[in-house]
Amino acid sequence: MTNTSPDAPLPVSVNSNEALHVMNQNLNVNMSTTAQATVEVQTGQTEPSAPVLAARNASVGFGGKTVLTGVGVDFAKGTITAVIGPTGCGKSTLLRSFNRMNDKTSGYWRTGSIELDGSDVSRKGVDLLDLRRRVGMVFQRPNPFPMSIRDNVVAGVRAHRMAPRRKLAATAEHYLRQVGLWGAVSERLGDSPFRLSGGQQQLLCLARALAVEPEVLLLDEPTSSLDPIATEMVEDLLRKLIPAITIVIVTHNLHQARRLAGRTAFLYDGRLVESGDTAEIFSSPREPETVSYIGGRIG
Amino acid sequence: MAARVVSGGAAGRVWRVSGTAGRPRQGLAGTGGTGGGVMTVDRSAALDGSGRSRVLAVIRKLAGRAPKTFLFGCAAVPLVALAFVVVALTVKAMPAIRYNGFGFFTRRAWNPGSTYAQLVTTHGVQHPVGASYGALPLILGTLESSAIALVLAVPIGIAVAAVVVEMLPARMSSAVGFCLEVLAGVPSVVYGLWGAYTLGPFLARHVSPLIANHIPDVPVLRFFKGPVGAGEGLLSSGVVLAIMVVPIIAATTRDLLRQVPRDSVYGATALGMTGSEAFHAVSFRWVRSGIVGVSMLGLGRALGETMAIAMVSGAELGVNPHNLYLTMTTIAATIVSQLDSAFTDASGLAVRTLGEAALVLAAITLLLNVAARLMVRRVSAGTALPVGRGI
Repeated sequence: MTNTSPDAPLPVSVNSNEALHVMNQNLNVNMSTTAQATVEVQTGQTEPSAPVLAARNASVGFGGKTVLTGVGVDFAKGTITAVIGPTGCGKSTLLRSFNRMNDKTSGYWRTGSIELDGSDVSRKGVDLLDLRRRVGMVFQRPNPFPMSIRDNVVAGVRAHRMAPRRKLAATAEHYLRQVGLWGAVSERLGDSPFRLSGGQQQLLCLARALAVEPEVLLLDEPTSSLDPIATEMVEDLLRKLIPAITIVIVTHNLHQARRLAGRTAFLYDGRLVESGDTAEIFSSPREPETVSYIGGRIG
Repeated sequence: MAARVVSGGAAGRVWRVSGTAGRPRQGLAGTGGTGGGVMTVDRSAALDGSGRSRVLAVIRKLAGRAPKTFLFGCAAVPLVALAFVVVALTVKAMPAIRYNGFGFFTRRAWNPGSTYAQLVTTHGVQHPVGASYGALPLILGTLESSAIALVLAVPIGIAVAAVVVEMLPARMSSAVGFCLEVLAGVPSVVYGLWGAYTLGPFLARHVSPLIANHIPDVPVLRFFKGPVGAGEGLLSSGVVLAIMVVPIIAATTRDLLRQVPRDSVYGATALGMTGSEAFHAVSFRWVRSGIVGVSMLGLGRALGETMAIAMVSGAELGVNPHNLYLTMTTIAATIVSQLDSAFTDASGLAVRTLGEAALVLAAITLLLNVAARLMVRRVSAGTALPVGRGI
């Protein structure tokens, strides 16, 4: 990686345009030219995409246990990147490093850097709450809050004081429409979300995450507890969200990675084995572990 | 384990000998006739048509019924006990109910009458001359002291639970949990003595003057004004009750909070909420209906608390507690403090009147419990709370 050295002090609040500019001038060795070409096809952008999220030689662990070893990966702006790998390989830990959800876990440590827009997420002076607003997360199992459907959507909007009270209903409607849930719930916005189906609940959680206007969405196996139809709805939604939002999706489902993601990163045993253009990873993987995993021999 | 055992021809016998893991599950289903292994033995024996199998069948049938009968008997105990207590109390108190009439709820005086004069009879009830009982001060004292206890104990209890579950490291939280259990187990007479010797005078010297001197003299708030006394009275009773109720509320709320799905809390955190915002948005809502329930549990304890109140209330009969510092008494405390002298009433009216007071206390508890149930139902049905979850 030929980016500015991670040790060099960067301004605390990096203007994202500036950061983008810096990124564009630097060549990313992880990203082959083919990958960039694919990204262009995917997003319709003419200029090469800069990484919004990046891990640079990041090692993460809890106490004496090392979960990730020297992971270096970029997530290009406005794309969907799938993170694949067998259970326990550190996919979720990597994902949770980006919005610092590991911070409270006992014994958590990290070396290397985890960056959002070129600036380390754990830098002093980073507003953790705003970081989590900018980097949204959706979990494996739908986790609506115990409040009405409408309140669920605007829970984050309220917490971040992003809209005045009188605008909240309109905000809720906007995001429910965006995720395609409005038709199903418009008559019962005051009801409990727990009476919705699993797929509807997950869409509600997506609406909740989108309502705080994130730049990045981290999805931790978002469809693994859903039926095929609900899965398709979620996938359709994700396709519509790019290139406005950068999406990183952890998935066990290789077909899903193929269907959805422009780029794929393969983690195995805490190491980043291979990353790049999805089609390339699946058709001509370079590393033997990737071949085995995709061929179904491991994992 | 079960799958391994069932294979093979001698499935039933093997099951009985070595299939211990399957046993608890099979135990009660035996008579139901669905159990795999056990039934195999039975069926083959029945095909023999031997006498032994018929005897065995009868024994098993009876043995199968025995636990059911026993369990139903156990289940009936609370029902029968409640009915027995209420009926016995009502029968015993009936003459007092007739004599005292509705005035029992409006009068203030607690006057057993002259124990030396000849007994007289009114409305067919024999009683000492001049006997007149009014429970209004006791009812007010009971309700007011319990209300003070809840107002103090519910927020403190919830705060303790929240700190224990959300903030403290595991070792600290188990230490606090241990303290809660010890607090809950301390006999009320100990609290009473401590309240009378230490807490009451402390409140009278340092806390009551602060409140009394700084509250504006307007109609409702006048309740907080008045001479602060020496420490026995309504405030001390309420605070002692609160200390006794906090462990109940804190321990139960802690258990409720531990059942809040972690995913939901993580969701709130990942959305950029602070710890307290996440607690308010997720955890608290999840346990809200449970907290209403546990508050009622605490209220039950406060209403019925006897010994501590008898020691710190000042045991003042005949005066309505119309400000925070007055000496007062409650129904329960009166029953225990008046019982001895009541037995000296040859007509028995005094004891019967205490019985009537006990009935009133039971009725208050019942009413508040019903109200709480309605409230829980409203809280969990009217809003978005997941019905049947959380509590």
